[in-house]
Amino acid sequence: MLTSSSVSEEVRVNLEKVVFGFFVLLAATLNFGFFLGDMRDADLHNPFELFAAVVVNLIALVLKFGDRTQIGAVHLATSLVASLQLVGAALMYGYAIYVSSAGMTESWTASVVSLSGGALLANIVSVVLLVVETVSFHRG
Amino acid sequence: MGNPLLTFWARHHRREEEERRARRARLLAAAASANRASETIFLILRRMRAPLIVLIAIFAVSVLGLTLIPGQDDEGRPWDMGFFDAIYVMSYTATTIGFGEIPYPFTYNQRMWVTISIYLTVVGWAYAIGSLLGLLQDRAFRSALALQRFTRKVARLAEPFVLIAGYGRAGELLGHSMDALGRRIVVLDRNDERIDGLELESYHGDVPGLAADARDPGHLGVAGLDHPCCEAVVALTDDDEANLAVVMTTALLRPDLPVIARATTRVMADRMRVFGSPSVVNPFDLFGDHVQLALRAPASYQLLTWLESGPGAALPRRASPPRGGRWVVCGYGRLGRELTGDLRAEGIDVTVIDPSPHDDADDVVVAGGYEPAVLAAVGLEEAVGFVAGTDNDITNLSLVETARRANPTLFVAARQNRPSSAPLFAAMELDALLVPTEEVAHEVYAQLSTPLLWRFLRAMPALGDDWAAALVDRLTDLCGQHLQALWKVRLTEREAPALTPWLAAGEARLGDLLRNPEDRDECLHAVPLLLLRGDDATLAPDPDFVLAPGDELLLAGWPAARRALEVTLIVDAVREYVVTGRRVPSSWLWRKLSGAPAASEETRPTAATPS
Repeated sequence: MLTSSSVSEEVRVNLEKVVFGFFVLLAATLNFGFFLGDMRDADLHNPFELFAAVVVNLIALVLKFGDRTQIGAVHLATSLVASLQLVGAALMYGYAIYVSSAGMTESWTASVVSLSGGALLANIVSVVLLVVETVSFHRG
Repeated sequence: MGNPLLTFWARHHRREEEERRARRARLLAAAASANRASETIFLILRRMRAPLIVLIAIFAVSVLGLTLIPGQDDEGRPWDMGFFDAIYVMSYTATTIGFGEIPYPFTYNQRMWVTISIYLTVVGWAYAIGSLLGLLQDRAFRSALALQRFTRKVARLAEPFVLIAGYGRAGELLGHSMDALGRRIVVLDRNDERIDGLELESYHGDVPGLAADARDPGHLGVAGLDHPCCEAVVALTDDDEANLAVVMTTALLRPDLPVIARATTRVMADRMRVFGSPSVVNPFDLFGDHVQLALRAPASYQLLTWLESGPGAALPRRASPPRGGRWVVCGYGRLGRELTGDLRAEGIDVTVIDPSPHDDADDVVVAGGYEPAVLAAVGLEEAVGFVAGTDNDITNLSLVETARRANPTLFVAARQNRPSSAPLFAAMELDALLVPTEEVAHEVYAQLSTPLLWRFLRAMPALGDDWAAALVDRLTDLCGQHLQALWKVRLTEREAPALTPWLAAGEARLGDLLRNPEDRDECLHAVPLLLLRGDDATLAPDPDFVLAPGDELLLAGWPAARRALEVTLIVDAVREYVVTGRRVPSSWLWRKLSGAPAASEETRPTAATPS
């Protein structure tokens, strides 16, 4: 009895949910990695990490396109917020490096990192939603 | 609850609550198909997932590669490309614009990577754009967009409109007549070609149309069944069952709306009448009744068809079917059955020819191909009337020609089934022609245009042929051979403020009102067809008829007469001139200066007349 039910549980694993969970978590972890460190010190924030966070966030956003469920719509909203914040951070980063004559000053670095911090908050909400969805599914 | 105010409030509140609940339940019907539209859009978005992710991934990999591969500047010093440069280069490369190697010429390492990226990104873009264009062409997507546009248009309608389910030939005729009256329509038809054709037709108003099955309550809901401005529903599809479904849906969801439905059999008409009180139009039954009327009173029939044809129609010829003598009816289908019954009820001898025997009629001559020999055998030479009533136009045309050869003095009637055969039937110069779709359109128009016209047409045959002939002469004398405007006037304080004191005096003769405001010796080019006071209708009231406040008038005449009459109804000075012949100054200052005539304005008993 027990084994048969666990087998059917395993069969029911949805590949779409796995992929989405992977990207949401990866977006949160990458963003966290970029965010970590002294806010004023540009050397502690790797631009490649920011790039990866932007790309993974965009993919997580597209993955929720066309989801009709309530929780899917909230996922879409949080991903959209995170993507907008991260793209904003990347634009500021690019402006500081290529356009601004002062270069990557402490205040610019702080702005970029704080924007990514806001995105991190949205990412954490996404992860919480994911966990809630998973737990409620098992209860049901 | 002792407080009566509180009780009243509670009851009022409860009723409001009930109404709201009922309304919500009806809206659910509409929501069903609106959901389907958003479903399609979700599906489209879902289908765009894969191309977009592929595009993002390819782009990310190419950009990352460019930033990682070491390069050199124009003086040979090592230089790493930044993210901005990399994104810039990849963007113009992927979209095949190709600005070249920016900001410094690439090294061979970089060129190798860019070569790979070019193929990757171009494929990615092509895939994404191709999918997007493919989805835009998608039938489901386009119909979802059309549904949304239609829903928006209908929801924004702020004036009364008629919902027409089934936009065939009859729907088209009705739509144009209603449009000529300045009324709005919303159209539903299963055939998308008919709906696409709406845009090519010359309507004055915007006509929202949706290609959808009217049997679905959701589609009717989207088309404005639950819209507060919907004033009537007309079911004109060529499928009786679909019409029944429309009648049913309307009776259940909006019992307050009038419904007019087309039915081609008596059984179906009875099934429709079970739901509320729809007005059922049966073209064959109608034609039989019309032939009966034409037999009894040719002028009444002429007036009826003229007024039913809508604005701009030419005066039809006064056909006089022969009463004494035998008629031959070919085809004992829906038309033949009705017509035979109506003719026999008039005491006319009828011979029926049909390819198959029928149980309900024992004297049908069974003959397969309507050969000339058969027509000769039934004695066409002595007959007076001939009806070609099969459902095949070619057969009908050949029957008419054969019958004419056998007996040139015959009164010939035929049934035209397809609009494309119209020129052939016109060339035949028949004495009577039945086009079922036109019959239906005219009947529905008469019912919808104004309730007064419908009343007039129903009461008119009772007044006899001579009366009708006199009215036709009056109409043609005043307005010519073409029917001009047909309009309604309500003599109330609101719509005719200038008339109030005059009407209250009790000596308001209709003839005094219908005079030209420029020169009162000249009559207006308008004929009063009907006067409705409360529930009493007077047909074609004469000039000495005394008007009373609240009367409703139906008039036919020139559009210019309509404008002139409107001025008389609203402007005091014009009314004074038209009625009494006195010129009264219309401005306040001039009235004060000229003194005396203003007295009549002062004595206007507005407070005394309850309205």
